[in-house]
Amino acid sequence: MKKTVDVSIPLGPVHPCWKEPVRLKCETAGERVLRTEVELGYMKKGIERIMRGRPWQEVMFLAERVCGICSVIHNMVFIEAMEEISAIAVPPRAAYLRVVVNELDRMASHILANFSYCYTIEHETLAMYLLNTRETVLDNLERITGSRINTAYMIPGGVRFDLLPEDAAAMLADLREVEDKMRRYTGIFETGPLIALRSKGIGVMSREEAIRAHTVGPTARASGVEDSDLRLRHPTYRELGFTQVTRTEGDNFARIMVRFQEVFQSIDLIRKCIETLPEGPIRGGGLCRAGEVSYGGEAPRGELTYSIKTDEYGRVVDIAIRTPSIMNIEACAHSMIRDVTSIADVTSTFISSDPCIACNER
Amino acid sequence: MTGYLYEKDLRQMKYNILTSTKHDEAVRAIARRLGTSDAKLRMVLIRQFDMSLLENLESRWEMGQQHADNDNDPVAEELGCELFTRFVPLVDARVMQTICDETRAMIGNESSRDEAIARGKARVREAVLS
Amino acid sequence: MSILQDIKNAVRSRSIHVAYVDVGSCNGCDIEVLACLAPRYDIEQYGIYVHNNPREADILLVIGSVTPQWVDKLRDIWEKIPEPKVAVAIGNCPISGCVYARRGTLTTPPVENYIPIAAQVPGCPPRPTEILNAILSVAPLIYKDYEEKQR
Repeated sequence: MKKTVDVSIPLGPVHPCWKEPVRLKCETAGERVLRTEVELGYMKKGIERIMRGRPWQEVMFLAERVCGICSVIHNMVFIEAMEEISAIAVPPRAAYLRVVVNELDRMASHILANFSYCYTIEHETLAMYLLNTRETVLDNLERITGSRINTAYMIPGGVRFDLLPEDAAAMLADLREVEDKMRRYTGIFETGPLIALRSKGIGVMSREEAIRAHTVGPTARASGVEDSDLRLRHPTYRELGFTQVTRTEGDNFARIMVRFQEVFQSIDLIRKCIETLPEGPIRGGGLCRAGEVSYGGEAPRGELTYSIKTDEYGRVVDIAIRTPSIMNIEACAHSMIRDVTSIADVTSTFISSDPCIACNER
Repeated sequence: MTGYLYEKDLRQMKYNILTSTKHDEAVRAIARRLGTSDAKLRMVLIRQFDMSLLENLESRWEMGQQHADNDNDPVAEELGCELFTRFVPLVDARVMQTICDETRAMIGNESSRDEAIARGKARVREAVLS
Repeated sequence: MSILQDIKNAVRSRSIHVAYVDVGSCNGCDIEVLACLAPRYDIEQYGIYVHNNPREADILLVIGSVTPQWVDKLRDIWEKIPEPKVAVAIGNCPISGCVYARRGTLTTPPVENYIPIAAQVPGCPPRPTEILNAILSVAPLIYKDYEEKQR
């Protein structure tokens, strides 16, 4: 990009606040940031190129290794896209179990995002509280799927493991505990005067800018974009009566609060799922066929789209993945960070949009 | 000194981004709209945009087609005034405004509408490729 | 065995600074390293301090197969770490490239081609306890009597 001023401050790729390598080059006047440039390429693995020409059995595992934090939803969207192509029906029990696992993953991801924000603004106490709560959530994920991160829980026509009644009871007890804790932490975050100083009115993104850059997920919802949650269109979530969280401030505080509120929403959804879990099989049958589809699902960070083309043996001929972080990082770097008054706010604003570089670059 | 430490040649990586399926389609669509060749546009994109903007090119282009309103102005619509300044920021906003105003003036004056629009488009193309 | 060396041994056994660098993975291992910070595993009770500054690190955790940007930069980071230093590979990616070592990939594993690796923790991803265990087992081997061995 063209340079406008002489003072350029590069942040990264190895930076104490960032979990993943990315480089921001901020052009500043004094401490005010005029414009930011993002340098990527640190995580470009070319996973779409690897996926081409491989059978779905392999691509299924590759898909969840696009991103480790939100691996469940990558798996889910790919599998549901394959089901859409081949017209495979899912048993109702399996559909509900998918929601349970997906929401657990969303909780873990949101809590991790809020942890990194609190860590970045140096509120380490709250950060450690949140990280410990996340472990409880991951325990429950492990209880159902047998793995903490890359679960590979869903397969076309159902899920791999059933939820046993005793596991369900233990999970409900854990969720109660998590809910109590999260209420307390949300209160701490909401009322903390020093947190407000670092968060409120910083990194503001207007609704127009959010739409222009096609931001999705909590970042868009914090800026007041209505109807930006694909769960509203998912049949199982519709049955459960899902409604979207929206805030209008569009600053760092709003983005973190949206995530806190969505954690409670996820807890309610899981409870409802377990209470109304239908009886029946967890695996149907089916054959993956040729076809072409573009299918979207709501990842923790927003809308995730898989455009897949398969041949008659179920091999993936062509694939394009559009992950939420692509839009969110771009909007964050070019809209939110543009006018922050201090370099110290650059990192916190960047983290508040929950950037996932592995998703972004694939 | 304006150079960065640890700078690396990013062109190959930027080219990798632009040649994935969806981005390639978006680049071709933009090139068609501007009336230039794909390769030239790719060169401009690699030179002007940072990597995050390149990754987001496809969704920005999509949103531009849906939401660029141009205040119901047919001239601005055809030249892609808002599309190429705010959604896909290839042209500077001030330059675009001048091109737009002058095209409108030309239509008001004497020459035919088609001719004026064609000249306006050529000027936009020039502004992009320069 | 000098007294000075004894003091150094004692200090080093309870003060291990860790930096981690992701050279292109799915970030599943990243968050497992982060999970070590949680009070449940309580990494700081062993005197291990995780931050991301290579210039004051003792142990470098390398995560991921190597992407184009890291081919030259990984060596730079390794050279910035003061002696005595050690690199630990976390996950399958730095060892073999894991799922990314296929036709058409942009990565160039293994990491051993770029920097010397002292220990490897396989797994996709490994559990936080395994990472913790690896750090605790490799650190004394490298740091004990470091100056004596140099002579």
